[in-house]
Amino acid sequence: MNRTFILLIMFTSFSWANNADDEMHLSHEGHLHEEMVDGEKLEVDPERFDRFVENLKNMQVAVVNVHGIVCDFCAQGIQRTFEKDINVKKIDVDLRNGKVLVAYAREENINFDDIKQKILINGQNAVGMKIIIL
Amino acid sequence: MGNRFIVIIICLVPLGLDARPISYSGGSTLMVLTDNMKDSVYYHYSPSYKYSIGIENINDKVFDNNYSYARFTYLLDRKNTEYSQRNLYFQSGISLKGLNNHFYGIHGDWETRRWFSGFGVKQVINKIKNYKEQYYQLGIAPYLGDYGDFHTWIMIKTKQNSLDNKWSTYPVLKFFKGNVLLEFGYNTDTEWDAHLMYRF
Repeated sequence: MNRTFILLIMFTSFSWANNADDEMHLSHEGHLHEEMVDGEKLEVDPERFDRFVENLKNMQVAVVNVHGIVCDFCAQGIQRTFEKDINVKKIDVDLRNGKVLVAYAREENINFDDIKQKILINGQNAVGMKIIIL
Repeated sequence: MGNRFIVIIICLVPLGLDARPISYSGGSTLMVLTDNMKDSVYYHYSPSYKYSIGIENINDKVFDNNYSYARFTYLLDRKNTEYSQRNLYFQSGISLKGLNNHFYGIHGDWETRRWFSGFGVKQVINKIKNYKEQYYQLGIAPYLGDYGDFHTWIMIKTKQNSLDNKWSTYPVLKFFKGNVLLEFGYNTDTEWDAHLMYRF
């Protein structure tokens, strides 16, 4: 019953698609849900995400789904590339779930093609992105 | 004398214990390898994730010989999936003492965060005798760490060269944290190998 209730809330609160410009608003009272009603998996470690956004205000987070992150060296390359971008406020790589979390100012226009290019020059592939408004 | 000659020839080629031969774009890597026969210091720079250029200095402990390779590695193919990566590289090196001392070959690997497999085949050309070397390697991570954690790999490696046609199989332990990777391998022929890698 509780699961059904949660799923209904998720269904009405979030929308998830492969469209790179998808956005959703996150209530920090809870965690990111791990799976959407349509079966699409978000798979962001809730604790990791909460730590990431702990001191972030008026920002947006791009949760990028990346293929090919299999070791720390992959993660390091991605982290260093994004850290060179002055528009990036914070970056974290979730090695376990193959996700890259990138924080930008709320007014920043996040360009998925630019993110894909940053991932690609390190040898991995960005295959999807979700923008979460904090 | 014969065995020593063979061992020395084998040592002309670095073992390349499956550290990534290409870094991320703009990354540099310093590798130090030592065993009972030689010391090797290899630096490479990767302008792109597709290739690296570098220089390797080898100190032959037996004949007190010292020489260097100018090395070039190119990523022929890469397949990224959600949980794995597969690579195929072309590797080459030319001695700074002359073009008739060089090597070329391919190196491949497939890995997830849990499993690793790799192989390499090299053809070595030199003034003394040309030969081919090949190896195969399997590994498993006993636990899965997060980014930045201390990582451990338990591996087994088998290798053979066309000079003595003997297969040598031995365990390899790999430890990895941050920018540093450390590997130890042991077999009765070559005794201890140690390989340190630092990426920056």
